[in-house]
This record gives sequence, C-alpha cells and structure tokens, in this order.
Amino acid sequence: MKLVVIGAHLERGDIEPLAEAVPVSDLWLSGVAIDDAQPVGDRDLLLRVAKVRAELLDRATFIAIRYGFTAHGSSDAMAKCAPHIDRWRRVLRDFSGHVEMTLKVAATTARPRPDRHDFESGAAYIRALHDATRATDVAPEFRRAVDEMLAPLAVKHRWSNRDTASLEFAALVKRESIGAVNDAGARLKRDFPSVPFLLSGPWPLEVFADDHE
Amino acid sequence: MSDASEEELSLLETLDHLLDRGVVIAGEAVVSIGDVDLLYLGLNVVLANVDAIIRTSQPKQIK
Repeated sequence: MKLVVIGAHLERGDIEPLAEAVPVSDLWLSGVAIDDAQPVGDRDLLLRVAKVRAELLDRATFIAIRYGFTAHGSSDAMAKCAPHIDRWRRVLRDFSGHVEMTLKVAATTARPRPDRHDFESGAAYIRALHDATRATDVAPEFRRAVDEMLAPLAVKHRWSNRDTASLEFAALVKRESIGAVNDAGARLKRDFPSVPFLLSGPWPLEVFADDHE
Repeated sequence: MSDASEEELSLLETLDHLLDRGVVIAGEAVVSIGDVDLLYLGLNVVLANVDAIIRTSQPKQIK
C-alpha cells in the first residue's frame, strides 16, 4: 500500500477518521491509501482526494502538499519530508486559524502562450513563457479596488502572474474573515460587471506555505 | 450562470488548486493522464471555464 499525501497537520485528531494519518516527527501527514499498483493519475482517485481534502479543511487548517506525492509508510514519509518539518511546524502554529482565499481574474489582453515547437532550446522556450506570463495585467482600476477592499482583510496577500491569460490575488485570512472577503467579492462583482473574475476558497495553506519567515 | 455551471466551475477550481498549489516535495514526478500533463490540464480547464462565464454572462439578443 502507498499513501497519496494530502497535507501536513499539527494533530492526528485533525485527520482521523477522515483520512489515513502518518507521523513525521511531531507532525502528521494526511492521505488516502491505495494499492501500490494503482496509478495516481486516475480521475476517480483525483476526485476522491479532492473531496477528502475539503473535509479535512473543514476540521482544521493544514499545509497542502501538491497532488502526486506518495509515501510508503512513516519512515519513507519522514525521509522525504525531513527538510520541511521545522518550517511546517512554524507555519502551522502561527496560522492554525487561517485559510487562503483566491481571486483569479482574466488578463486585460490575453497573450498567446508560446509554442515550444517554435524554439530551438528548452531554455529559450522557458524564457519566452516567463516573459509572456510576466507581461499579463488586469485593468488598473479593478486591481486598485481589490487592493482597497480585499487586501485590508488579509494577514498576507500577493498578486502573481500564473499564466499568459490571468492574474491571481491570493490572501491569507483568518477564518472569521471569510464572510467579509465574500462580501467584498460581491461588491467587486457589482462594481465591475464587465471584469471576469473568480473568487474562491477557503483553501488550505498553499501559496503562503513556503515563505513564512 | 446556472447552478450546474457553478458546480462545475467549483469542481474545476478545486482540481486546479489540488494540482497546481501547495508544497512540492523534491524528487516527485509530475502526474499525468495519458500524454496530458495534469498541472496544465487543470489550469487550462479552469481558464477555459472562465471564458465560458464571460460568454454566458452576456445578455442574449432577441431577434
């Protein structure tokens, strides 16, 4: 059996009986157990993991681990996760009452994604992809409104260019602020009916799991 | 947007977060189904659906 790992948690009680719990030092990994032969690139498994992940977040905040990471028991998990344990512990203790909210907004002008077949080297393709991604932007008045309405509700926030067609605003907020964030989203929808955006959450610690210093 | 569209979008956004966010453990391979890289699949599907929102939010013309 192997474990498709979902996240890192402070307490075993935050995981069981919703998912399998595996100790790593004084922390716990949550996950779904599957046969060794079962591929992780399986649609039904993906949907099952997504459902368990949401249920775990309802119970307590955790650090999300990207889908595809598997472990064979505690010793294997510990060997793979050891470099992260101290940071995870700090993040979980400091942000146990927080979740992430995400606002994805379509770029003002979507730029074509570079075609890798047009480049002679992988490095040139990656550079072109990076440049095209960095060049995307949204309407300045919408961005300003997000900064004025959503950013003050966040403990941390960040704009990021994730691809050539959209930008993302990620906010780390206290759980009790989720309602206020959604209210702000509703005001944005009313004030900017022509700007396509998607406000979603709550999510576990994803964007802000790596830079807690 | 209909309830079904909202439900579909919610699922796609969930999958995008599952596939494209969170801590990456060194040494893990990118997951794929067939020849399609799931990380890009998730992202592209969500973006495609954002386009669908734009289309469905346009008032329909009555001829």
